[in-house]
Amino acid sequence: MPFLTHGSYRIRYELDGPATAPAYVLVNGLTQYSELWTAYRDALIARGFRVATFDLLGQGASDKPTLFINQDDHVLALHRLIEMLGEGPVFLSGISFGGLIALRYAIEYGRRLSGLVPMSCFAELSPQLLLIGNALRTGLILGGTGYLQDLLLPMNLSNEWLRPLLDKLDGVKRQGWLVNDLYALQNLMDSFLDFQPLTPQLASIAVPTMILNGEFDFLTPRALHETLRVGIPNSALVIIPSAYHAFTLEKGALTADLLARFADDVLAGRWQGNKAVWIAPEEPGGELTPFPAGYDHLRAIPVQRTQA
Amino acid sequence: MSGLLGPLDSEGRVPHGQQTRVAAFLISAHGALARQFALALPAKFEAGWQTELNAQFYRESEIVSLLMRATAWVPDLALGYMTISWEAAWLPMPNEGIPDRSLWQAVHLATLAHAVHAGIRPAALLPLEANPNDPFVMALRRIEFESGRLLQAQILFLKGPDQLPFRDTVSRVLESRHTELRKLWHDTLASLGIVRE
Repeated sequence: MPFLTHGSYRIRYELDGPATAPAYVLVNGLTQYSELWTAYRDALIARGFRVATFDLLGQGASDKPTLFINQDDHVLALHRLIEMLGEGPVFLSGISFGGLIALRYAIEYGRRLSGLVPMSCFAELSPQLLLIGNALRTGLILGGTGYLQDLLLPMNLSNEWLRPLLDKLDGVKRQGWLVNDLYALQNLMDSFLDFQPLTPQLASIAVPTMILNGEFDFLTPRALHETLRVGIPNSALVIIPSAYHAFTLEKGALTADLLARFADDVLAGRWQGNKAVWIAPEEPGGELTPFPAGYDHLRAIPVQRTQA
Repeated sequence: MSGLLGPLDSEGRVPHGQQTRVAAFLISAHGALARQFALALPAKFEAGWQTELNAQFYRESEIVSLLMRATAWVPDLALGYMTISWEAAWLPMPNEGIPDRSLWQAVHLATLAHAVHAGIRPAALLPLEANPNDPFVMALRRIEFESGRLLQAQILFLKGPDQLPFRDTVSRVLESRHTELRKLWHDTLASLGIVRE
């Protein structure tokens, strides 16, 4: 199990695929660990990419600082990891909390990137997200990691995914419960106490950016992704049909396909963001379709857009 | 070598030898905290936060009492020298730069309690098939759950404004406590053939 060092801490990472291939770096969400990207690693390597995953400080097999974790440390650790990849093209993607870290990296070190894919992401804390975050933190404190998982599972995954697992949920939750320590999760959540919105800095992200948002994402709904679409110049928003916040778990094959196609388009010079809004296909390999012209993609019912 | 307790018996119970050594370690650690919280308790409270000292003292005592009764004890000759090394580890470390003696004592107790409550996860040793109605299994789960709550007082204190001028010292002492405690815990588990990553 390889580690890189950041100050006195060790960061566990995995790097697979041909050294000369364009690289994808995948950043975990808050309660994740890098093994959850295994299917992505296999799919992206099969499509000709090199893949790097890692546990953030406080997660999985990386060191867990006892009292304080600064979000700057995640960005610096990510910087160290990307430095190890050499000079070839690098695509960076992260989900939720990891998407935020990816955004911050793109703002600070964007010239090193060929493309950026924030997923289920946000650049600022809306009142709803702030209050939900506070409630989740209180849930963690009062009920432990298991209770936090109990709250997140139905919030972030579909009935179709949950139904066959209803009598096996203890097993589903177990690995995440084992590798995530309560105090470390709490430190990660506490790193938001002095969070400053990134929205004013989004315009500085010059790289091609594909923003992925689940159709039914309750935790980080469309409006939060809209901030990214409007703020990042060369971006497009892609809505994943019938998906929730954790669509990377539920729709891994589709998401990996979208990541590979995005990178292929960028490398071939075909990518044009144009701040467009697209609807992803239901299955890998299907066509993306433009969001119907004249309708408001921020609404859940077909409301015609009013003329500005 | 395994990362979990076991093999479980046909009724999903942890082997008695493992119960004995794990419970002895936990009683040593939580018992030390109970003693030290008892010494820190004033006869009459003059500030609201002192009520937390009372809560911590009784919760630690409860954990000791729980393990005494929930464990299937068997004779274990190795416990003699192991207990000596554990008890030595709970003693205060040399003061590393906090001039106020009473504040240093509070930092010592809080860092030790943080390390015990955050770093020791006894329920994580249980296989999925462990019998949830077995008293030892239930005790380990209760201890881990209660530790998460007790930990909040240590987090509030160690991150609090009184410690701000000594943040580096406090962080260093806490990291050191965690490292020391993790080694003792892992050594204890290794003596039972359990290896934690």
